[in-house]
Amino acid sequence: MLLCRVVGNAVATCAHPSLRGSSLKLCQREEADGSATSEPPFVAIDHFNAGLHQRVFVSTDGIAARGIVDDEHSPVRNFIQGILDD
Amino acid sequence: MRIGQVIGKATMNRQDAAFRAARWLVVNPVEGVHCNSACDTPPPVSKLPSLIVYDQLGAGLHDIVGFVEGAEATAPFDQPTPVDAITVAIFDQIHHRPHEG
Repeated sequence: MLLCRVVGNAVATCAHPSLRGSSLKLCQREEADGSATSEPPFVAIDHFNAGLHQRVFVSTDGIAARGIVDDEHSPVRNFIQGILDD
Repeated sequence: MRIGQVIGKATMNRQDAAFRAARWLVVNPVEGVHCNSACDTPPPVSKLPSLIVYDQLGAGLHDIVGFVEGAEATAPFDQPTPVDAITVAIFDQIHHRPHEG
């Protein structure tokens, strides 16, 4: 599980069929103090409608991700698992 | 999935039988500062290490793609296939608004 902040979104018309209907959010990993890490943002699927600059937990569990998109042949890995309140 | 720019392709004369008719791309990860404009103008090649990525989507030169690395890259295949990175999406637009403070 990665602590991230939503820093944008991405649009792709040409994608693996399992991504259809999923919104794609740009996530930036953060340090414990809330500062962004130096690595580039990555993309996670979002079924929680997380808002811009909200802090989220992102799972990297491919098995769970395949369950979420209901496709056992899906290559997705990162999905937003929850939105942090505080 | 990570964001990368297609900067080339790779062809192999001799390869594993599972890879017949496979397309391989050379993908360079896009840095955060170039994400916004990446789909309109090709970003400069970053210093981040480039990868060879299996492609089923038909991505072309300078396309901005999402790619997945690791065990999940083999999920789309029916037969066990030794693939470690695969393209998952070709991005039309990326909106990046870094959080400040």
